[in-house]
Amino acid sequence: MSEAIRVEGLVKRYGSFTALEGVSFGVEEGEIFGILGPNGAGKTTTLEIIEGLQRPSEGRVTVLGNDVLREAKKIKARIGVQLQSSAYFNYLSLLEILRLLGSFYPHSMPPEELLEVVGLSDKGKNRVDQLSIGQRQRFTVAASLVNDPELVILDEPTTGLDPQARRNLWDLIREIHSRKVTVVLTSHYMEEAEALCQRLAIMDHGRIVAIDSPDRLIDRIETTYTVKLVTADPLTSDQQHLLAKSATLQKSEGGSDSAADEPGSYVLRLNKTPEALNATIDRIVRSGITLKHLEILPATLEDVFLDLTGNELRD
Amino acid sequence: MLALTVANFKMMVRNRQTTFWALFFPLILVVAFGLFDFTSPDVSRVAIAGDTQTPFSSQLAEQVQGIEILELEEPPPGVEEGRELIVEGDLDFLVVIPPGYGLSSPEASPGSGLSAQAPVKLISGGESEERVRLVEGIIRPMTDAAVLGETSAERPETLLGERVETREAPYFDIVLMGLVGMGIMTHSIISIAVRISNYRNLSILKRMLVTPLAIWKFFAAEVTAQLLLAVIQAVVILAVGIAVFGARIDGNVLNLLPVVILGSLVFLNIGFIVSAWANSPAAASGLGNVISFPMMFFAGTFFSTSTLPWLLPYGAEALPLAPMITALREIGLHGATLWDVWPQLAWLAGWVAATAAAAVKVFRFS
Repeated sequence: MSEAIRVEGLVKRYGSFTALEGVSFGVEEGEIFGILGPNGAGKTTTLEIIEGLQRPSEGRVTVLGNDVLREAKKIKARIGVQLQSSAYFNYLSLLEILRLLGSFYPHSMPPEELLEVVGLSDKGKNRVDQLSIGQRQRFTVAASLVNDPELVILDEPTTGLDPQARRNLWDLIREIHSRKVTVVLTSHYMEEAEALCQRLAIMDHGRIVAIDSPDRLIDRIETTYTVKLVTADPLTSDQQHLLAKSATLQKSEGGSDSAADEPGSYVLRLNKTPEALNATIDRIVRSGITLKHLEILPATLEDVFLDLTGNELRD
Repeated sequence: MLALTVANFKMMVRNRQTTFWALFFPLILVVAFGLFDFTSPDVSRVAIAGDTQTPFSSQLAEQVQGIEILELEEPPPGVEEGRELIVEGDLDFLVVIPPGYGLSSPEASPGSGLSAQAPVKLISGGESEERVRLVEGIIRPMTDAAVLGETSAERPETLLGERVETREAPYFDIVLMGLVGMGIMTHSIISIAVRISNYRNLSILKRMLVTPLAIWKFFAAEVTAQLLLAVIQAVVILAVGIAVFGARIDGNVLNLLPVVILGSLVFLNIGFIVSAWANSPAAASGLGNVISFPMMFFAGTFFSTSTLPWLLPYGAEALPLAPMITALREIGLHGATLWDVWPQLAWLAGWVAATAAAAVKVFRFS
C-alpha cells in the first residue's frame, strides 16, 4: 500500500514563534487518519501546509506523489478540502455553489449526486444561511467532494455540532471512506478519534508525540485506572499523603462533570498494576474518608494524552 | 471564469442592498435634482455692446440698473466677444447698439431721416421665453422712443431679437453626469470592500485557494461583474435623467464607456484596499463611506470646486472622481471626443495603476 501523504521534518515559524517543530508522519492510501490535539497544537498549520495554503519554513511534504511546493496545482485537482469554520457564498443556492466549485476542476461530480450523498437532496435550492449548523457542516463536506477526490482533508469537521449531528457526520465520513477515499481529519474529541480513525497522530506544542492505532495507543497504558472520588469533607494532609503512596492524586478543578465542582472532589491516577487498584481501595477504606461518590474508569485516549503530554486535552 | 463572473453577478443582483446602493441611491438624487428648477436663476446678466458712448446707451444702462431682476455687466470689448460670453454661459443678454444710435443728427445721415437707423439687437442664450419677452418689453419702448418722427404704422422694427445656441448645459444635466460618476464611485468602493471583507470572514478566499482555480481569475471575475454593474448603473441613471427629466446628451454615448470603466476600476481598487484595512464587512462599509462621501463633494459632483479656498481646488482636481466627472461632462454635454479628454483619461489611468499597485501590496487572504 502506498502513501497518500508523506510529511518529513516540517517546521513552521511565525517570527519568533515556532508553530511546528519538526513534524513527520505518513498517511496510507485508503485509511482514515486522525490528528488529535488541543487548540494551538499545530493541527491546522500542518493541514494548511499539506493543502498548499502555507509554505513550510523547513521540511518536505509530498501529497499523492507530488511535491506541495512545486506541483500544488496538480495536488489541488485531486484532493478535497474542508476548512475549519468555512461557510460559502451567501447569495447562491447549494446547487449553484457546487456547480461553481465544480467548474474550477477538470473533472467534477454532478451537484445533485453530491447532495444525495450528504442527505441534503431536498435542500438544493436553499441557501447556506437557511441550513442548520449540522446541515451546513455536511454541505461543506459535500463541497470538498466536488472533484471526486482521492484524498479528503477535514479540519475539525464536527466542532460545534450536537451529539446527534456529530454521529451523522461520522456515518458520512465512513461512507466516504468506503468509496476508497483516503480521509485525514483533525479533532479534539477523543471519542471521535477512537470511533473513526484507523491511525492517529497525537500532537502537542507543534510536535507529534505518538502515532498508532487508537487501540494500541490505549494498550500502551493498559493497566491504568482512573479513580474519581467525591468526599464529604476535604482530605486532610495525612489522608492525602496516604493515598498518594500508590497513586497520583489530583484535586479536580471544575470541568463538565458536575460532581467535580464540589469542594471534596479528587482524581486518583493509578500505577500500572491491578495490585495498585486493590491497595488504593484499601487505603481509602482505612483512612476513614466519608465517600459521597466513587468511580473507577478504565484507560481512554484521554489518559493516553495525559500520559504523553502531562496535560489534559480539554482545558 | 465565465461561470464565476455569472455567479458573482447573480449574487450582486440578489443582494438587495447592493442593488439599492448601485441604483436607487443615485436615482433618488436624480429625482431630487430633477424636481428642483435650477434653469431660471433669479437675476439675468445684461451687457451693452456696440456704440456705448451715446446718451441712449447710458440711458439704457441706467434703466437696466433700476430693474431688480437684471444685473448690468461690464461691456465686452466687442460684439463677437459678447456673443462668445453668452455661448459659454457667462452672460444672459447682450444689447447691441448701432453706431450713433439715438443721436438725432441729420448730418450723420443726411436726407435719409432716422428711419434708416439700423435696429438695436438683443442677443440672448438659454434664457426662458418669458425672461426674453420681459427684457424686450423693457428695451422696446426706449428704442421706439428713440426713433423719432415716424408713425408707428410705418415704423420699422426697432428691436431685433437673436437667439444663440449656448454651450452651457442646464444645471440638471451637469449634475446628472456628476451623479453617474458618484453612483459608480460609491457603489464600486463599498460593494467590493464589503464583499471581499465578507469573503475573508467566511474563509471563502481560502476556500478558493485550495481549488486549482488560478486566483487572478477569481479577482478578474469579481471585477468583471462589478464593471458590468457599473455600466448598467450609468445606463439606468442616464436613461431616467433623459426620459423623466429631459436631460440632453450631445456627445457620443459610447465614448462614455471607457470613462465609466476606467473610473470604476480606480474605485474597485480602492475598495480592495479598504477591504484589506477593515476587519469586518461593517467596518468596510463605514470606511468606504468615509472615503467616498468627501470625494463626492470635493470632486465637483454638485458644485464647481473653483470657489474652494487656497490650494483646495487643485487638490480636488487631483481626486480620481474629478477627472472622471469632467470627462463625462465634456463628452456627454459638449460632444467631446475621447481624444479631447485625453488628459482626464490619462489621469484616471494613472490612478488605476497606482491604486492597483497599492491594492496588491496591502491585500490579504486571511
